[in-house]
Amino acid sequence: MMARLRLLLLSLWLGTLAAAGAQAAATLVVVSSASGGAYLEATEALIEELVAGGLARTKIERLSVAEFAAARSLAPRLFVALGAEAANALAKSEQRVPVLCTLLPRSSYERALLEGGRRASGQFSALYLDQPLSRHLDLIRVALPDARKVGLLWGPDSKAQAATLKDLARSRNLEWTEASVSPGESLFASLARTLVGADVLLAVADPQVYNSNSIQNILLTSFRARVPVVGFSPAYVRAGALLAVHVTPAQLGRQAGALAHGVLAGKALPAAPLYSQDFEIAVNEHVARSLGLALDAQALRERLLRLEGAP
Amino acid sequence: MKTQKLLAPTVLGRACLLAVLGCATVAWAQTSASLSEQDFLAEMPIVLSVSRLPQRLDDTPGAVTIIDRDFIRLSGARDVADLLRLVPGFQTSTSFERVGPQVSYHGGFGGYSNRLQVLVDGRSTYSPYLIGGTEMGLQTVALPDIERIEVLRGSNSAAYGARAFLGVINIVTRDSSDTLGLQGSLAAGANGIRDSGARIGWGQYDATFRLSADRRADDGLLGSNGRNQVGRFNFRADLRLNARDEVELRAGSHVIDAGRGSVGNVDDAARDASFGTAYTQLDWRRNLGVDEDLAFSFSRTQESFFDSYPYSLIPLGINDSIDISASGRSSNDSLSLQHTLRYGSALRIVWGGELRREQVVSQPAYHTDAALITNFTRLFGNAEWRLAPSLLLNAGAMAERSSVDGASLAPRLMLNWHSSAGQTWRAGVSRAFRPPSAFERSADVRYEWNGHLLVQSFLATGKVRPESVLVREMGYLGEIKRLGFSLDLRAFHEQINGFVRNSLFDSVHAGVRDYINSEDFTIQGLEYQLKFRPWSGVHLIFNQTYTTISSTDLSTATAAPRLASSLALFQKLPGGLDLSLMHQMNGPSTLQGGGYRDQTELNRTDLRLALPVRFGANRGELALVVQNTGGPYQDFDAKFWFQRRAFVTLRLDN
Repeated sequence: MMARLRLLLLSLWLGTLAAAGAQAAATLVVVSSASGGAYLEATEALIEELVAGGLARTKIERLSVAEFAAARSLAPRLFVALGAEAANALAKSEQRVPVLCTLLPRSSYERALLEGGRRASGQFSALYLDQPLSRHLDLIRVALPDARKVGLLWGPDSKAQAATLKDLARSRNLEWTEASVSPGESLFASLARTLVGADVLLAVADPQVYNSNSIQNILLTSFRARVPVVGFSPAYVRAGALLAVHVTPAQLGRQAGALAHGVLAGKALPAAPLYSQDFEIAVNEHVARSLGLALDAQALRERLLRLEGAP
Repeated sequence: MKTQKLLAPTVLGRACLLAVLGCATVAWAQTSASLSEQDFLAEMPIVLSVSRLPQRLDDTPGAVTIIDRDFIRLSGARDVADLLRLVPGFQTSTSFERVGPQVSYHGGFGGYSNRLQVLVDGRSTYSPYLIGGTEMGLQTVALPDIERIEVLRGSNSAAYGARAFLGVINIVTRDSSDTLGLQGSLAAGANGIRDSGARIGWGQYDATFRLSADRRADDGLLGSNGRNQVGRFNFRADLRLNARDEVELRAGSHVIDAGRGSVGNVDDAARDASFGTAYTQLDWRRNLGVDEDLAFSFSRTQESFFDSYPYSLIPLGINDSIDISASGRSSNDSLSLQHTLRYGSALRIVWGGELRREQVVSQPAYHTDAALITNFTRLFGNAEWRLAPSLLLNAGAMAERSSVDGASLAPRLMLNWHSSAGQTWRAGVSRAFRPPSAFERSADVRYEWNGHLLVQSFLATGKVRPESVLVREMGYLGEIKRLGFSLDLRAFHEQINGFVRNSLFDSVHAGVRDYINSEDFTIQGLEYQLKFRPWSGVHLIFNQTYTTISSTDLSTATAAPRLASSLALFQKLPGGLDLSLMHQMNGPSTLQGGGYRDQTELNRTDLRLALPVRFGANRGELALVVQNTGGPYQDFDAKFWFQRRAFVTLRLDN
């Protein structure tokens, strides 16, 4: 019994030594807000991209936020933060190694900057999970060419984007109808106001407005009014939104890998955070059919890519 | 009023219980404080699930007319029957001489309309009382509570059972989350029109509720016995229990108080009749995934009828009187389960079963206090199979076993071909059965005095068999979106076999009538609806129906006009004003409550002018409606006339 215990203690000690050794030697450290799912998918794509670029797998270290907080003597050439919690932890840390935040929306990145007393720079940059507003509007123009008026519901998180979106809409000859939802307020009345005269409802992510409590009401009421909903995630499309433009965790991982590769080759991170280059279009073909529309996700994606001047 | 007292407390008690139940539900998901990647990555409940997505009009296995909220508002109609006047192939009345305003499709074959199904939020409101009818069901909800009415023109027994013999009127009420806050409405004007209604809606995302109460009252048709009043209340709760389960609870009641008969007519004396109905309904929907749903439904409907008057026996040399009565009560209980599933984009299947129990009790109609009970077991299924992108086959059937009439099978096949964008051709065949109603099978109407049989008017032998219809139809649905133009056309050949009607019992029993399968005949013709928006703010709807009924019975052969036309024009004017102009022109047809000699033509023009109003934060609408701007026309019975009715309506929402 005692012999077994001694063996166990020895292996734990050896294991810790090995981990410390790996950390010390890591060229790139990935700090992930959670494990599994999208985080795993993004990490694997990132690693694959780096390995393809010539970096040895053993030079990449994967840590949770708690492990990062507990770790000492980390000296990589780049940190990649996956998710808002990891970005916050890195922003607040004393690390002065460049950090690339990804798999997080723009407002989470900006909150991390604020809370960590940092500013967007080549030292602390980001590759966003959310899609640029221009891309959402272009999708509406391409998929629903007859739509003239875009319905918008603003919450505390999304309101900051209102002015930009309106400028972008104006430049695309689109009109809008909008309403604000205050915290704690039911969105029934605001939604009803917004849907009057709207040809499409563009959901701009905001947890006070678009959440699992309100989705039922938003999708059903819009459907009854025959106003298609353009969502911001494939889950929204499965739930009943007509379509959405989104980036997959793997696409983000690949683009983050390419950026990381540049850093390791001596380039700086882009000072201005980036939106994903690549994206997918999700279409709910049953909802489309019910609304009398025929939409092809792949064709829409290609048209959007062409609009954006992609090769 | 008797019935209202009888029925209202039970339903009120249930409604309160349901409200308490609804308030006890809890939110099943919490709102996060600020935006994070989870808002983009998290799964969401399936909202527009497979059973929530309706078939498109060009995919339906038959012709469908949708009456939406705008049409309801702009029409100036005061009840559902008046709205259906403007649907191709329909005949309507506004009389309350039987139960209430009547609607029929391809022929009003008598004083009751029993060859259509009326569903309110999926619940059959078909009244099994006497020879069956839809008049009570049509009055279930007030117009402001209706989201839309789907009129399925043509036999739909494959999906809705025996009552959907010639068509279905599917009334869908508004979701309670769409009617939060308060609404009040008033209407007053000529012919004693005094309508009033109030509605309150409350709740949050996971539980919303609506309670509405209203009254519709007028002095009835010229020549009829005075006032009619419909008083009703309805409660609806929409509850979301978790990401997969939703429950809808409904309860309500309505009472029709109507003057019937006429002064001085000993055989049909002037009197007040009262009909009441109350219902409770529970619907539970469970989402089993992106492509699969399960729906369970239970409903109970109770009806009570009070119609009685004294008949003097003095002409018979007896210084006494007896009561002539048609009073009684009935009830329906229904339990159903429906499974909807989708296999890719090419196949959707709906299948399920229903257990239904109908009870009728009426001493005057059946000469017994015992309940006449019919149990139905139904199994149904429909496959919507996209054979090719432009070709859709709907194949369905309902197998029905009645404890009285045995088994029957109502199949339907319909092929929809989308020849090009916005153009659909449809062809199909269906078969349906209508089992005889309790009265047609078991009527035993005797008038007795002190144990002596004075007269017997009905004695049903029960030999009557279900009547059947074989429908062959072709249709076209075309749409040119940029011109706002659409055309819906249906050519029909409805072969009715064993049409049920009453006839003299035999030569021995003078004056006694029985119900028999009298004859086979066809109803054939063509109907179309053309919608057009020639310029901004205008909407034109033009209908025409050509009908030929080959019956050897003259009143049956003229139960529908050979040509019926209607035109509705809705024009948006400056200042938010809405102008509506509707004109209906029907060729001669037999009045529902009369015989062959009681034929009439119908020419009716309605006008409505409405302007939006605002009182502080409250918005609403003030409207002037003139129904039948021309001279009076005969309605339901040669003695009754529909005169000009001008009234003002006011609606306020908060």
